[in-house]
Amino acid sequence: MSLYDLMHSLTADSMRSVGGFEGELVLCATIVLILLLRIPRLTSRIDSFYVMLVGSAVALYMAGPWHPVEQPSQLFTGLLINDTFTVYFRTLLLFFAVLFAIFTRISGVPDRDAAPDVYALVLGATLGMCIMASANNALMIFLGVEMASVPSYALAGLLKGRRQSSEAAIKYAVYGAGTAGIMLYGISLLCGVLGSAHIPTMGVRLAELLQPANLEAGVGLDTHMVLALGGLMVMVGLAFKLSAVPFHFWCPDVFEGASAEVNAFLSVASKAAALALLARVAIGFGYIAPPIETQAEEQVALFNVADEPAQQPETKEQEAKPPAEEEEVLLVEEPSGSAAAFSPLADRAEQIAALAPARDYLAWVLAFMAMITCTFGNLAAYGQTNIKRLLAYSTIAQAGYMMMPVPAAMVLAGSNPAAAQGAIQAMVFYAGAYLFMNLGAFAIVAFLRNVLLSEEIEDYAGLIRRAPITVICFSLILVSLIGIPPLAGFVGKFQIFSALVQAKLWIVLLVAGLNTAISLYYYLRVVKTMTIDPEPETRRPVSMSFIPGTYVVLVSVPLLILGIWPESLNALARMATGQLF
Amino acid sequence: MDPVSTLPVLLGLAWLVPLASFTLIVLFGPRMGKAGIGAGYLATGAILTSAILSSFSLFFVWIPAYDMPEPSHPVAADSAHGGAHEAEVHDEAAHKEEHGDDDHGEQHAESSHGEHDGGHAHFDKPEIAGEWYTLGKFGSLRITIGYYIDSLTVMMFAMVTFIATCIHFYAIGYMHDELHDYVDHEVTLEDGQHLHRPGRFHRFFQYLSLFCFSMLGLVIAGNIAMVFVFWELVGICSYFLIGFYIERKSASNAANKAFIVNRVGDFGMIIGLMVIFATLGTFAFGDVDADGDGTPEPGIFSQVRSPENDYALVVPDGVIKAAAASEIAKGVEATPEQIQSWREDMEPGGVGRWAYWLMIIAGVGIFCGCVGKSAQFPLHVWLPDAMEGPTPVSALVHSATMVAAGVYLVGRFFPFFVPEVLLVIAIIGCITLFVAATIAITAVDIKRVLAYSTVSQLGYMMLALGVGGWSAGVFHLMTHAFFKSLLFMCSGSVIHAVHTNDMTHMGGLRKKMPWTAYTMLVGCLAIMGAGVPFTIGLSGHYSKDAILAQAMSFEAANPMLGWLFYVAAAGAAITAFYMFRLWFLTCAGEPRDKHRYDHAHESPKVMYVPLVILAVMAVIVGWSIYGTPVGIQKLLEQARPMGILTTAHGALLTDLVHPDEHLSHLEEFHVASTWYATLTGLAGLGLAIVFYGVRVLNPAEVANQFKRVYKFLVNKWYFDELYNVIFVKPVLLVSSRVADFDKKVIDGLIDTLAIGTRMIARLDDMIDRYFVDGLINAFAGWTYAVALWFRGAETGRLRQYVMFIVLGTVVLFILITFYLSAPLAPSLSTLEGRP
Repeated sequence: MSLYDLMHSLTADSMRSVGGFEGELVLCATIVLILLLRIPRLTSRIDSFYVMLVGSAVALYMAGPWHPVEQPSQLFTGLLINDTFTVYFRTLLLFFAVLFAIFTRISGVPDRDAAPDVYALVLGATLGMCIMASANNALMIFLGVEMASVPSYALAGLLKGRRQSSEAAIKYAVYGAGTAGIMLYGISLLCGVLGSAHIPTMGVRLAELLQPANLEAGVGLDTHMVLALGGLMVMVGLAFKLSAVPFHFWCPDVFEGASAEVNAFLSVASKAAALALLARVAIGFGYIAPPIETQAEEQVALFNVADEPAQQPETKEQEAKPPAEEEEVLLVEEPSGSAAAFSPLADRAEQIAALAPARDYLAWVLAFMAMITCTFGNLAAYGQTNIKRLLAYSTIAQAGYMMMPVPAAMVLAGSNPAAAQGAIQAMVFYAGAYLFMNLGAFAIVAFLRNVLLSEEIEDYAGLIRRAPITVICFSLILVSLIGIPPLAGFVGKFQIFSALVQAKLWIVLLVAGLNTAISLYYYLRVVKTMTIDPEPETRRPVSMSFIPGTYVVLVSVPLLILGIWPESLNALARMATGQLF
Repeated sequence: MDPVSTLPVLLGLAWLVPLASFTLIVLFGPRMGKAGIGAGYLATGAILTSAILSSFSLFFVWIPAYDMPEPSHPVAADSAHGGAHEAEVHDEAAHKEEHGDDDHGEQHAESSHGEHDGGHAHFDKPEIAGEWYTLGKFGSLRITIGYYIDSLTVMMFAMVTFIATCIHFYAIGYMHDELHDYVDHEVTLEDGQHLHRPGRFHRFFQYLSLFCFSMLGLVIAGNIAMVFVFWELVGICSYFLIGFYIERKSASNAANKAFIVNRVGDFGMIIGLMVIFATLGTFAFGDVDADGDGTPEPGIFSQVRSPENDYALVVPDGVIKAAAASEIAKGVEATPEQIQSWREDMEPGGVGRWAYWLMIIAGVGIFCGCVGKSAQFPLHVWLPDAMEGPTPVSALVHSATMVAAGVYLVGRFFPFFVPEVLLVIAIIGCITLFVAATIAITAVDIKRVLAYSTVSQLGYMMLALGVGGWSAGVFHLMTHAFFKSLLFMCSGSVIHAVHTNDMTHMGGLRKKMPWTAYTMLVGCLAIMGAGVPFTIGLSGHYSKDAILAQAMSFEAANPMLGWLFYVAAAGAAITAFYMFRLWFLTCAGEPRDKHRYDHAHESPKVMYVPLVILAVMAVIVGWSIYGTPVGIQKLLEQARPMGILTTAHGALLTDLVHPDEHLSHLEEFHVASTWYATLTGLAGLGLAIVFYGVRVLNPAEVANQFKRVYKFLVNKWYFDELYNVIFVKPVLLVSSRVADFDKKVIDGLIDTLAIGTRMIARLDDMIDRYFVDGLINAFAGWTYAVALWFRGAETGRLRQYVMFIVLGTVVLFILITFYLSAPLAPSLSTLEGRP
C-alpha cells in the first residue's frame, strides 16, 4: 500500500466517519465558541449560558435517536464505534447537558464570570464521556476517561473561595491520576499480550488464546496471569469513574466539597458514561459482536498496522506447541477481511464459546465489586448528616446496583444472547431513570441551599409546611431511588433483579435485595425529617419561588410517568442494546 | 338537513347537556351563587338547551325530512267484524288529490290480497339506528351505547324536555324555601324542636338534572340493555327525589318502598332480558352494522318481524333453536327446513309451542318491569306514597315522564309481543285503571288523588296497548303527560299557598288564586276528555276516544273479553267524577278553613307562567299543526312499528283476535265510542256537580250509606295491609330469626375462634418480641456499627487514599489469584452451566 493510497483511504474514512460524529463536533465547536467569545470586549458580554444551551441542544439534535442507525459502523479507522448503544448514551449525556445548563441558570451557580469556564469544562467533559460511550479502542478508553476526568477535577474546585472545595479538587485529581496510571498500565499489558488495541480484534485474539484446545494443551498459560492482571487494572480505572469500592474514597469528599451542581454532573453524566464504557469493555472481551457487514474492508485492513505484532504471540504459541497440534493452529492464515477473519476459529459461535473463561473472570470480578460497592455505599450512608455526603454514598450504592447486570450479561452471553441483551437493557434503562433521580435530587439540594444556606439534613426539618411541592418531589425521588412502585426506580431495579434471576446469580440477588432493604432506612430518614419532624424555631422563613419549583416538578414527574408507563424508555433501551449481541 | 347524520348529534347533545349540569352541580353546587341558587339556573338552562335542541330536531329536522304515512284505508278483511264498512278516512280528499286513481286502486287491490296487509305495506317506517360507543364485548355479547331514533323518540324528547323545562322554572319558585336554613315542621326531634337544617336547593336541581339525563337516555337507547341501565338510573333518581325530605320518616319509607317494589318488577325484566339475549343473541332494537362488514346485523325487531315475512310476527330462528336445543344436541341439523318444521310443530309438547312459550315468557318478563315502573296492579302501591317528594318531582317524575317509561317501553317493544302477552297487558291495565280510579274517589289528600288518577290513566294506556291500540296508547301517554303535569303543578301551587295537602281544609281558592284555579280547570277538562263530539276537543278528548274505540273494536272481535271495554268506559265516568270533586273541593265553594284561606295568595309569576303554558299545551296538543296535517297522531302513525297494523290471532288462545287498529276508525266503533266517552264523562261531571258543586247530595251521607264500600275504598282496597301480611311480616319474621341465629350461633362461634386466635397471637407476640426482635435488633445494631466503622475509614487524608488505591488493587488481585489458582480451564465454565 503506497503512501498515497494510505492517505486517500484515510481521508475517505475520516470523511465518512464525520457523519457519525456530528454531535461531538458540535460540542467542540461550542467549546471553542465559548472560549473565543471571551476575548473581544464586545462579545464577552454575551451570556455563555445561551451558547451552552444552544450548543448542547444542537448537538442533541444532531446525535439524537431520531437519526436511526441501521448498522453499527466503526469510525476513524476503528477508534470509535457508532451504534445504537452509542446513540443512546450520547443522547442521554447531551440531554443531560441541556437540563444541566438550565439547572445552573436557575440555581445561579456558577455566576456570570465563572460561567464560560465552567461551561467549557462541562462540555469538554461531556465530549470525553461521549468518547467513553463510543470507545472501540483501548487507547480511546484511556483518552475518553481522561478527557472526562480532567475537566471534572477543575469543576470540583469550582468554589474558589472555599478551602474544602479546593481540597476536594486536589484529592480528586491525585486520586484520579493514580487510578489512571494503573489503568494505563493495565491497557498496555492487555495490548501487549493480545497484539492489538482494537477491542474487537483483542476479543478475537483472546478467544483464540483461550480456545479449549490451547487450554488443554497448556498453551499460553503463562499469559493468563498477565491478562488477568491487565484486566483487573483496567477495571480499577473504570471503578474509579464509577466510584466503586474500593476505589471510591474520593467520592464523599469531592461531593461534600464541590457544589451541588457539579455533584449532579458527576453523579449522572460521569456515571452513565462509565457504565457505558464498562459494558463496552466487558462485552468486547467477553463476547464477539456480530460482524459488521457493510463496512469497507479497506479501513480495517488499514488500521491493522497491528497486524504484524499480532503474529507474535501466535508464533510463540506455535513454538511452544507440540508439533501434533500444529495443523490445527495453522488454519489461521486467512489474509485479510473482517476482524473475525484473524481467528483460527472461523466460526463466531466457537469464538464465543472459547471466551467462556474470560466471561467467568469478568463476571466474577464485577459481581464481587458490585456487591461490596452496593453494601458499602448503603451502610456508610447510615450515619451521614450532610445531604450531599449522604447522596454521595447513595451514588456509590446505586453504582453497585447498576454494575450488577453486567456480570449477569456475562454469565448469560454464551448460552442465551437474548437474555444477556435483556440484562444490559436493564442497566441502560436504569441509567436513563437515574438521570432524573439524581439530577432532581441535586437540583433540590441546590435550590434549598440557596434558600436555607445549609446542606445539613437536620435543617430540612418540617420543610413540608413551607415548600410542600419541593418536599413531595424530593420524597418521590428518594422513594424512586429505593425502588418502590410505581416509580421509575422500581421498574429499573426490577429489571436488574430479573436479569440476576435469569443468570442464576443468587448470591448477588440476595445481596442486592438485602441492600434495598437497608437503603430504606437512610432514604426514608430524610423524608421523615422533612415531613414529620417539627420545624426548628430559629429557621428563617423559607419559600421556594416559582421557577425552581417548576424545574423540580418537571424533573421528578418523569419518574412517575416512567414508573407507570415504562414502555417508552424501555423501547429506547431495547433499541440501544439491539446491536450489541 | 340530513337527519341520519344530524339527529344523533342533536339528540345526543340534548341528552348529555343535563349530565354536564349534574356533574357541575355535584362538584360546585353549594358554591353556585347565594345558597346554591346558581345550581337552579344552571339546571334550568341545561334543560332549556335540551328542549330547544329537541324541538329543533322535531320541527326542523324530522318533520321536513320524512313523509307522513299515507292515509289509511281500513278494510275489514277479518270475518270477525262482519260486513265491511265504508272506510272513514279523515283526509281522504287530500289523499285523492295527491295520488291518482290508479295508485288508489292498486292499494285497494293489494289490501285485499294479503291478510297481513293493513293498507300500509308501502310505507317504510323511518328509523335511524346506530351506536356511539362500545362499552365492552364479552363473547357474542356486546354492551353498547347506541341510539334508535324514530318519530316516537323525537316526540318523546320534545315532550320530556318541554315539560321538564316548565317544571324546572316552576321549581325555582317552589323550592325557594330551600335557599336558606330550612325548618321542617313535619319532623320533630327528641327535644320537641322542629328540625333545622341547611337548605338543599342545589341538591334538588342536581337530582333533577340527573333524572333528565337518565330519562332521555332511556328514550334514545338503542338496545334493551342500555334501556335497562337508564331504567335503573331513573329509578335511583326517583328514590333520591322521593326521599328528598329524608328526615321525614314517611318520606324515607316511601323512597324505600318505591325502590323495593320496582326491584320486584325489574326481576321479571331481567328474566326477559336473559331470554332475549339467550335466544336472539342481541340486545339491539334496530339493525346496526356493528362489525363493520357493510351489512347490518338484524336487531330484535327485524328478527321477530323480518321483511321477508312481510313484517308478520314469526317466532325467530334463534328462539326455535333455543327451544329445540335438546333436538340439536341429539344431532339433528338445524337447517332452514328443519327450523320451519319445528316452528310449525305447535302440538302440546312440540318445539314450536315451547318456542312460543319462550316468546311469552320474554314478553311478560319485559312487561313485569313496566308494571313496576308504571305502577300497574299489583305493584301500584308505591306511586301514591311517592307523593312524599316535592311537588315538582311528582309532576315531572311521577306523572309525566318516569312512570310513563313503562308505557313507553311497552310501546317500543310492541313488535315483540305475541297476542297472549298483549292480553296480559290489557287485563293488567284494565284492573289497574278501575282499582285506582275507585280509590281516587275517596282520597282527601290532593296529591294522592292525582297519584291515583295517574295510576288509573297509566292503566288506560296499558289497556290501549294491550288491545292492540298502539297509537291510541302512546297518544294518551303524550297528552296525559301535559295535563297531568299541569294538574300536579296546580296542586303544588295550591299546597304552596295553603301549606296543607288536605282538601278538606281548602275551598273557594279560585278567588284568591285565579291563575291556578282556572288552569287547573283546564287540566280537569282535558283529563275528562271534554270536547264537542266530532268537532273539536281538548287533548284528552282525542286520546281517550281512540282508546275506547280500540277497546270497542276489540270487544266486537272477542265478545268474551268485552268487560275490558265496559270497565274502561266506567272508568271514564269515574275519572271525570274524581277530577271535578278535586276541583270543586279546592277551588269552588266556601272556604272550609278560614285561617288558611286568609293566608292564601297567588303563587309568584315564575310558578304560574309555566302553568299557563302547560294549560295551553293541554288544550292543543291533540290538534294538528295549523295548516298542515301534521299532528301527534300523524307522527305516531309514522312511528308505528312495522307489521303491527294487522289483525293478529293468538297461537295458543286461538280465539283471541287483536283487530287492526285502523278498524277502530270504522264508523261503527268511532262514532259509538265518541258518544260513550262524552256521555260517561258528562255523567261523572254531573255527579260531581251534584255532590260538590251545587251540593244537592251530601257526600258524607252517601258515604255513610255505603259504609262498607266507602271504608274499602278509603283503605285503598287494603292492598298495603295485604302486602304487609303476606310479604312484609313474613320477611321480618324470617329476618329476625336469622338475626337471632346469627347473633347466637354464628357470633358465638366467631367469638370462640377470636379468643383462640388471641391466645395464639399472644404466644406469637412473645416469640416475636423476645426472639425475632432480639435477632433483628442485634442485626441492626451490628449493621450500624459496621456502617460507622466504614465511615471511619473515610479519614479525608489524601496520603491514605492513595495508599488505598494500591491496597485495593493488590487485595483484589490476591483474591483473584485464589480464583485463578483453582484448576483453570474447563471447570470454570460450570458457572455458566455449559456442558
